[in-house]
Amino acid sequence: MSPPEVTGEAAGEVRRLVPDVETLAQRLAGVDYLVDEGLATSIFLSLRLPQPLLLEGEAGVGKTEAARSLAAVLDTPLIRLQCYEGIDAAEALYEWNYPRQLLSIRLADSSGSTLREEDLFGSGYLIRRPLLRALEHPGPRPAVLLIDEIDRADDDFEAFLLELLAEATVTIPELGAITATHPPVIVLTSNRTRDLHDAVKRRCLYHWIDYPSARREVEIVRRRVKGASETLAVQVADAVSRMRDSDVQKPPGIAEAIDWLAALSLLGVERLDAAAVNLTLGSVLKYDEDQEVIRAAGLEQLVHGGG
Amino acid sequence: MADAPASDPAFGLETIQLDLPPLAAAFSRRLHDAGVPMTPERPADLARALTLVRPVTRRRLYFTARSVLVSDLAHARAFDAVFDSIFGDRPREGSEHSDDARTAPAPPDERPRSEHRTSPGGSAQRDPRAHAAPAPPREGDADEDGVAVDVPLAMASDEELLAGKSFDALEPHELAQLYRLMSRLELATPLRRTRRRERGRRGQHVDMRRTLRAGMRTAGEPIRLARRRRRVARRRLVMLCDISGSMEPYARAYLQFLTCAAGSGPHAEAFVFATRLTRLTRALAGRHPERALQRAAAAAPDWSSGTRIGDALKEFNDRHGRRGMARGAVVVILSDGWERGDPMVVGREMERLARLAHRIVWVNPRVGANEFSVRAGGMVAALPHCDALVSGHSLHALGEVADAIGAPSWDRRDAPAAGSGAQPAAELDDEQEPWASATPVPGSSVAMPSGHGPSRGNTTPGWLTDDGR
Repeated sequence: MSPPEVTGEAAGEVRRLVPDVETLAQRLAGVDYLVDEGLATSIFLSLRLPQPLLLEGEAGVGKTEAARSLAAVLDTPLIRLQCYEGIDAAEALYEWNYPRQLLSIRLADSSGSTLREEDLFGSGYLIRRPLLRALEHPGPRPAVLLIDEIDRADDDFEAFLLELLAEATVTIPELGAITATHPPVIVLTSNRTRDLHDAVKRRCLYHWIDYPSARREVEIVRRRVKGASETLAVQVADAVSRMRDSDVQKPPGIAEAIDWLAALSLLGVERLDAAAVNLTLGSVLKYDEDQEVIRAAGLEQLVHGGG
Repeated sequence: MADAPASDPAFGLETIQLDLPPLAAAFSRRLHDAGVPMTPERPADLARALTLVRPVTRRRLYFTARSVLVSDLAHARAFDAVFDSIFGDRPREGSEHSDDARTAPAPPDERPRSEHRTSPGGSAQRDPRAHAAPAPPREGDADEDGVAVDVPLAMASDEELLAGKSFDALEPHELAQLYRLMSRLELATPLRRTRRRERGRRGQHVDMRRTLRAGMRTAGEPIRLARRRRRVARRRLVMLCDISGSMEPYARAYLQFLTCAAGSGPHAEAFVFATRLTRLTRALAGRHPERALQRAAAAAPDWSSGTRIGDALKEFNDRHGRRGMARGAVVVILSDGWERGDPMVVGREMERLARLAHRIVWVNPRVGANEFSVRAGGMVAALPHCDALVSGHSLHALGEVADAIGAPSWDRRDAPAAGSGAQPAAELDDEQEPWASATPVPGSSVAMPSGHGPSRGNTTPGWLTDDGR
C-alpha cells in the first residue's frame, strides 16, 4: 500500500489546490460540474489518499464528465482510455513503431553502420498509448487518467490493469518497469454490464452516482445550456424526472436533459407545452417504445404533472 | 473545513490516530458480519481516509466510510444498516439521498439467511414433497415418464434409468446423483469472433511485432510474414429459471442445472425469478455444489410463490440485458409459461430480449407431456420470439437443451416454413447419438416429444408456425 500521506511535489500541488472537501466542491462548481457531498468526498479521497476511484451509475449521470471536470480543476490533461472488447496492451499501453524500426535496420544496412537491438527498442521507437502517457506525464500536477467503461473490456484486461492501479507502474519487457514520477489520478467508470473482478474493486474507492435532485438538476442544466430561461429549465427538469418515474426502458440521464433543454432553447421555446415536447421528444427519449409510453400517458400530463 | 493539513499534518494525525484504528476495525468487522466483503487493508484505508477528511458531520463520516468500504451498490444497504446501528440514524437532509432507495437495485445477497427457511436448498423441507411429487398429475407427465423409464431398448443401469426419469418424480438421493450426471453435459454456446487477435498461420492480419523479431535473424529482412487472426470465443450463456409454485417439482433439479452451467465457465450468468428477479451467478460460483445450492436458496426470497414472468423479464432487460449482458448471448429461460400477470407484458419483453440476444431457448418441462399444447398465456405470448422450445424435463431431455444452446445460428430468420419442422433436427442427429437410445413417443405430432421423437431436434420451428404465426 502507499504511504499515509503522499509527499513530493505533485502531492503538494494537489494539496494546495484541494485542501478540503468543500474547496473541491467549489472548484468543481467553478468548472460547471455540480457535485453532492458523497461524490465530492469520494473524489477528494481519491485525490488525496491517493487511490483510484471507480464510478458507477446509470448512463448519462456524468461519470465521464466527473473526470473531465477534475482535470479542469487540476488544470492538467485528461488522458482517456475508452475500453472495448478485446483491448490489449498494444492499444492501451504501448506499441513499438515497427515501420520505423524496419527503416532503421535497412538504413543501417546500407550505410554499413552497426545497429544493436537495444537501439531499436529505445524510447524513440515507442508509440505511447494512453496508459503510458498518463504515467509519463511530466507534472507538476498529476494527469487525470480516465479508464472509461472498463466493463466493456474483457477480464484479462482487468488483470493487466492491477499493477497500474495499485502502484502506478507498468512493465514493458524490453524496457523494464516504468514507474510514474507523478502518479496519475485514476478514474474508472463502469456501466455494470458485468461484475468487475474483486481484485480491481479492492484497489479502488467506489461511488455510485445517482440522479440528482430536481433542484440540483435545474442548476446543472442551466449551467450547461447558457441563456436558457429558468422557467424552461425547471419545466424540463420536472418533465425528465417524471419520465424517470414512468415505465420507460431507458430513463433519461442528465445528459439527455441538457440536450433537450439545448434543443428547446435553440427552437426559441419559452415555455414547455405539449406541442414543443412533441417536436423535441427525440432528443430526450431514444427508443420508439419509450416515446409511445410517454405519448400514451399524455404529453400535457408530462408538462404539468398532477393527474 | 478550515483546517489546513498542510500547515500541521502531524497534529491532525496524532489526535485522531489514538482512537481511529480500533473504531475502523470494529466497524469493518460489523460490516463483514453483515455480508459486506472486507479485506484486511480496508480498516487501515478507512483510518487513513478519516485523517484526511475531518468527519465534522455524521454525513461526512458516512460518505467517507462508504467510499472506502463499499465497492458495490448491492452492499450499500447493508452498509447503511450497520452505519445506522453504530452511529445512529444518519441525517437524510437533501433529497439526493432519498432517491437512493428508488434507483438502487434490490441487492440479492445481503438479507439475513434466517428469513428464508422455506427454500428448497434446505432439503429437509422439500423431501416429503419430492416423494409425493409423482402423485399429483400435472398435465399428465407422470404417466408419460413411466413410458420413458420402461423403454426396453435402454440399458438397465441406474444411470440410464435416472437419466430418463422426469425431474418431478425424483427421490432426494437421486437428485444428488443427478448432479454428477448433469455436470457431464457440455454446455457450449456458439462461437463468436472477438476483437482480440491471436497468432494464426493463415490469419488475415500481419503481426508486425513477430515479423520484425523474426526478421532480425535474417539481417533485418522480413522474409516470413507472421500473421494474426481474430480469436473466437464462446457466447455468453444467460439462464433465467422460474422458481414459482407451478415449477416447484423441477426447481431443485433445474437449480442444479444452473449450478453446472454457472460452473461451466466465466461466460455463464444465472438468475431465478418468481415474483422478482434474483441474480445467482455469484451464489452459484464455488467448488461445492451443495453449498452453492444453499447459498442460492437463501438468496432468492420468492421460492414457490406466484409467477410474474413479464415483470421478471422486464427487470432483466432493464437492469442487465440492455446494459450488455444479453447482447449476443444465448438466453435460456426455464419456465412453464404460467403467468399471473399480463401476458402482453411477456410478449413485449420477449420481443425486446429477442432483439438483444443471439438465441433464446425456452425450456418448458410441460412440453414433454403427450397432450401438450400451448395454453399457458405467458407461453403463447413468448413463443413467437423463441428460437427453440425444448422440454428438458429429464436428464435425457436436458441433453437436448444442451444441443439447443449450442445449435449453429440458423435462427429466427432461417427458420424453416410450416411443416418442415423436422428438417433441421436431422442435421443434428449424429451429435445426439448418446441420447438416442429411446423409442419415439406416440402421438408426438404437436409437441416436442420429450427428447425421443423423430423431430427431437430441439426446436419447434414447424410447430411454432402452426400455432403462433
